[in-house]
Amino acid sequence: MLKTTPFHERTAALCASHAWRRWAGHVVASSYELTHEREYHVIRAAAALFDVSPLYKYRVEGRDAARLLDLVVPRNVLKAEIGQVLYTPWCDHAGKVIDDGTVARLGEGLFRITSAEPNLRWLEDNAAGMDLEIADVSDSIAALSLQGPMAWSILESLGAPPLKYFRITSARIRNTPVEISRTGYTGDVGFEIWMDRASALPVWDALIEVGQAYGIMPAGMLALDLARIEAGLMLIDVDYVPARKALIDSQLSSPYELDLGWTVDLAKERFIGRDALAKEKARGAQWQFVGIELEWHSLERLYAEVGLATRLPSAAWRMSVPIYSGGEQVGYATSGGWSPLLKKYIALAHLRAPWFALGTSLEMEITVEHRRKRAAARVVKKPFFDPPRKRA
Amino acid sequence: MTDAIVIGAEADGLAAAHQIMRAGRSVVVVQEHAPQAHTEGWVPRAIAMPGVVMDLPDPWLRAVLPAGGVLELWQDVRRSAEAIRRLSVQDAGKWPEFCERMAKLARLLEDLYLAPPPSLVDLRFAFKIRRLGRMGMEDLMRLLPMPAAELLDDWFESDALKGALGALAVRDLQQGPRSAGTAFRLLHFHVGNPAGVFRPPVSNYGALARSGVNVRQAQVQRINVRAGQATGVMLASGEEMRARFILSAADPRRTLVDLVEPGWLDPDLVRALRHVRARGVAARLDVELERAPEWKTLTLAPSLDYVERAYDDAKYARVSTHPCLDAIADGPRVHVRFQYAPYGAQGDVAGAVAKLLPPIKKVAVQSPLELEQSYGWPEGQPHHAELSLDQALWTRPRPELSGYRSPIKGLWLCGPAMHPGAGVAGASGYNCARALLRTL
Amino acid sequence: MKAYDAIIVGGGHNGLACAAYLARAGRKVLVLERRERVGGAALSEEVFPGFRFSVFSYVVSLLRPEIIRELELPRHGLQILPLESTLTPLANGDHLAQWSDHDQNCRELARHSPRDAEAYDEFGLLLHRMARAVKPLLSTAPPDPASLDPRELLDLLRLGRYFRRLPEKDLHALWKLLTMSAADYLDEWFESEALKGTKSASGIIGTLLGPRSPGTAYVLLHHYMGELDGVFRAWGFAKGGNGSVSAAIAAAAQAHGADIRTQAPVAKIALRGDRAVGVVLENGEELRAATIVSGADPRRTFLGLVGEAYLPGDFVAAIQRYKFRGSSGKVNLALSELPRFSCMPEPGRHLRGAISISPSVDYLERAYDDAKYGEISRRPYMDIVIPSVLDPSMAPPGKHVMSIFVQYAPYHVNGGWSDAKREQFGDTVIDTLAEYAPNLKSAILHRQVITPADIERIVGLAEGNIFQGELTLQQMFFLRPAPAWSRYRTPIHGLYQCGSGTHPGGGVMGASGRNAAMAILGARA
Repeated sequence: MLKTTPFHERTAALCASHAWRRWAGHVVASSYELTHEREYHVIRAAAALFDVSPLYKYRVEGRDAARLLDLVVPRNVLKAEIGQVLYTPWCDHAGKVIDDGTVARLGEGLFRITSAEPNLRWLEDNAAGMDLEIADVSDSIAALSLQGPMAWSILESLGAPPLKYFRITSARIRNTPVEISRTGYTGDVGFEIWMDRASALPVWDALIEVGQAYGIMPAGMLALDLARIEAGLMLIDVDYVPARKALIDSQLSSPYELDLGWTVDLAKERFIGRDALAKEKARGAQWQFVGIELEWHSLERLYAEVGLATRLPSAAWRMSVPIYSGGEQVGYATSGGWSPLLKKYIALAHLRAPWFALGTSLEMEITVEHRRKRAAARVVKKPFFDPPRKRA
Repeated sequence: MTDAIVIGAEADGLAAAHQIMRAGRSVVVVQEHAPQAHTEGWVPRAIAMPGVVMDLPDPWLRAVLPAGGVLELWQDVRRSAEAIRRLSVQDAGKWPEFCERMAKLARLLEDLYLAPPPSLVDLRFAFKIRRLGRMGMEDLMRLLPMPAAELLDDWFESDALKGALGALAVRDLQQGPRSAGTAFRLLHFHVGNPAGVFRPPVSNYGALARSGVNVRQAQVQRINVRAGQATGVMLASGEEMRARFILSAADPRRTLVDLVEPGWLDPDLVRALRHVRARGVAARLDVELERAPEWKTLTLAPSLDYVERAYDDAKYARVSTHPCLDAIADGPRVHVRFQYAPYGAQGDVAGAVAKLLPPIKKVAVQSPLELEQSYGWPEGQPHHAELSLDQALWTRPRPELSGYRSPIKGLWLCGPAMHPGAGVAGASGYNCARALLRTL
Repeated sequence: MKAYDAIIVGGGHNGLACAAYLARAGRKVLVLERRERVGGAALSEEVFPGFRFSVFSYVVSLLRPEIIRELELPRHGLQILPLESTLTPLANGDHLAQWSDHDQNCRELARHSPRDAEAYDEFGLLLHRMARAVKPLLSTAPPDPASLDPRELLDLLRLGRYFRRLPEKDLHALWKLLTMSAADYLDEWFESEALKGTKSASGIIGTLLGPRSPGTAYVLLHHYMGELDGVFRAWGFAKGGNGSVSAAIAAAAQAHGADIRTQAPVAKIALRGDRAVGVVLENGEELRAATIVSGADPRRTFLGLVGEAYLPGDFVAAIQRYKFRGSSGKVNLALSELPRFSCMPEPGRHLRGAISISPSVDYLERAYDDAKYGEISRRPYMDIVIPSVLDPSMAPPGKHVMSIFVQYAPYHVNGGWSDAKREQFGDTVIDTLAEYAPNLKSAILHRQVITPADIERIVGLAEGNIFQGELTLQQMFFLRPAPAWSRYRTPIHGLYQCGSGTHPGGGVMGASGRNAAMAILGARA
């Protein structure tokens, strides 16, 4: 049987679409309403509530906790302040990405790391001989993500303290102890709320109750997928193959190739994958993960040729789509869709050098009336949507 | 600053030091453990120095027969055949041919042992094997993965002969003679010996090689690494010694996992090193008899089933109720090997020995645990990595490390866990030092 | 009398496959089967009224998909139903279930060990890579490394090149798999005893080796081989029992024009000089063909049907050395109701899969300890399926058939096999299983106990070895069944082998039969 999250009692009652999807062995709602449209707009207009409990979560505590995490991830964990959250990928010895997630420093020697894949064995093996304890708290900690311009107002009404971008703090929601971090997967202003499994439902209820006045709505994975593409955020198994699942070398990616070079701190003497990454940096990455935007006129013309109005995907897609320059395939897009907010057809793509340079003109394959065509596209800046409120 | 620091002052460390000195470089050998009285194993000519004496009793094997009497195997093949004839006319007839065919295969290994291991897909190695001719090639290919018991059953019918040879094949191995890959070990320990002798000799190589080398007694606490390059060692006293190269004859797990700080090595390699099998299975006893026995050696391993049953106990972490025993006498002092006494298992070791030997005056037992403490043998395993087929040749101790060079620049592995290791005295150290010198 | 190009001795699945391929290529082929029906050890029989059994082999593990495709076996009635799970009941009332659904499987593994659940995927990935590396060898006639024949040398070089192209780390991983024991190999990955026990069990099937014996790790690969061919699970059950596999191949052979004669036991292979010219049946009838293919095991083929006197001495010695050492038996039960396993008493999905009595590596090793010294395992390893759950036509409505594969029951049992020994063996199996499924004894309507001696007597497999010879490293690839004679040819011109005793051998796979046909046709597989 699949697992259900601590919020399942609530989410199941709300899931009018009966559209569920799997996430790390759990069932979660794809959308609550019959279409995900309203759920998407609520992210950008009010506040959307996501159940993100299926994330893997590990608590690392002890004298060497910072040392271990600093060894495992390419970002500098030793320098992280208490209450700071770092987004980071992590790599194998060859500098290829295994997973990505957040590292939250909850205390001097207390961290919580979240990940998309199980990482207990990896953490434990690398911690041999260190003075620390690693606990898998994936099932015991429930997590909600409250995203959108009204998110802060809702939390404020519940008495939460103000919080800066990528910070975490302890708080109480109606007397239930929680941790709130200003993080998320939508590229908007947003928070993630972490709590014991046992107190999951009261927190959900409190947020929904107070949130009514601010237009809160539970939202599912379809809406989230669109938002994260607009935010230019990659998704494991969709946009990259984690090193442990790669069957052949060409499926591997380094942080540099995923546009995560900024997370790699080569000033650190030691971390897993450092040597390989230093070499890659010196060489220059041969691939880059970029945003591309399809040109509306080109799309319109391709459809007009067969007598149709332009057809757009109603939800985000996740598959491999070839990208060309001239006659040559120079890369592939891995997720994309129509941004209802930007009114643009956008996609995230892996491109070879030199085609990943900003502004490069490309063509992306699309299927128009059963025929493969190529629509004009160009490399644009990521995130596609980056409101100042996100960090404000 | 010296050119090289060698960790470990037994045959391999010393052989490495001598090679480096011969190339005109300076060496300090750090001796962490009490020196062993003898060096076990054949000393290849390239490694031996004037004065090295290999000691092999003649008869080299005296196996106690359950019905009374002994089976004696001599360095002279025909004389052994005569002794075997008393047990089986058929076996006596086959003995010379067996010895000849084994010797032929052993010579192939001999060539391989004084060089880094061949690659699994090395064509030169393949051609060398083809030169053995059809029979030799078939022998080798069948023999490598074979259980010693099967090989011996193919040739012989005498339980006493098969039992004694079977016990030699599984020496210091957590397997029994019915386990695949043990026939290869019979061959391995045959290398360097005259035809018909399957027991490795002991020598004074270690004692001799220690003189003339700068040996320091100290405990290594850490191998210092800066920017991926080994820079020296830190001793337990806190003193730092610097060198361009570190050659470690300590076992690879201790060298790379315990002595090197985490983060320098591929975590997958660290995981693999934790899985290098090094299970000590033999206790050693130093016995003083009332008076010197009239024999030089005595073996108790009366049949393959006997040895296999002794192993059965070890599988479940028990000391063998009916162990394989092997004694070598030097006057009234007798050195006895007791197999199987698994690492950490409790059991009566001295009692079984007392039953075999004439009246005993004094006995001192060293269990694998104590051997680990005395000599730094991981889990009491003298070969540092069990010599099984998956930890031999190109995969000794792990394929990533089989070329002696560790992933850390300037840090080399030269102990018995490296190819060929396991009782070829000094060969791992010799090969390692030569591989290192070739890079200069 | 009809003239034949080829006569196949033995109508087992490999003999039939070989016949089908030869007939498909236009040869006139005759299959001679000793028994009243074809199938060899892949046989379905109504042993008790209303209850049909796959009497001997009982699952389809590795039947080559190309054979199903090329011989169009589904058209001839073959359907393979997947076995979806493996349930390992434990003595403490708990269990370990391995499910085909990844998430469900992970969750169950994590219940025993989160580390194991995590390692499982990585392990699977590595074995998948290994299986990919090995797979081309299955359909290759192994070249003789000592040969001077230019064609074989070319094959040898091609093989060498193939291996040199593999990444070195894959080669080393393969070497480890070939040389290690299943127990040591699994210890590097997992910590849960039940998982290691159940996984290592696949390494000991058909051998007289224990999970701690080196060389048993290799068979772990076989479980992953199927996945490469687009088979969801490696293990399946043929609708109608394993006899339907033989029946479908036989039908395919006949559709291509092959003749099949049953109750036609072959007494010897007729020779003229060093050339096979035909066969002589036990009733004295002589049949002629330029090509004789034997599906019988190597001992029966060479020492029985040909005769030592006509073969080179070193070849005879090699065949005499070739190890069979049958170690497994079978208990087939007709049941009045489904078994209720204490760990999962309700009828459910778990009964649609395999049930494995393999709670730990030590359990299996102890079972082996008994066999090593010639005793039946006091507490044997069992692999159980209940075919009637998957295919209700196997038993009367509401009733069931249960197939229990048991190891170890050594062929060379102390005192030899007798009727009393057979019953003792049957009792041991039932008593052990009843500890896990208490209602078993009262549910038994009939039982059929098959010992290795029975397998030898009925099917003709030497020493009752289900693989026509142990699948150990020294009896594999170019050493199977004898060095220099691994390419389906024999020292007798015109005589070929196509049984499981040739490369790759093992299980209801059909690859030996197909490869032999390709060798005879002179085509590259």
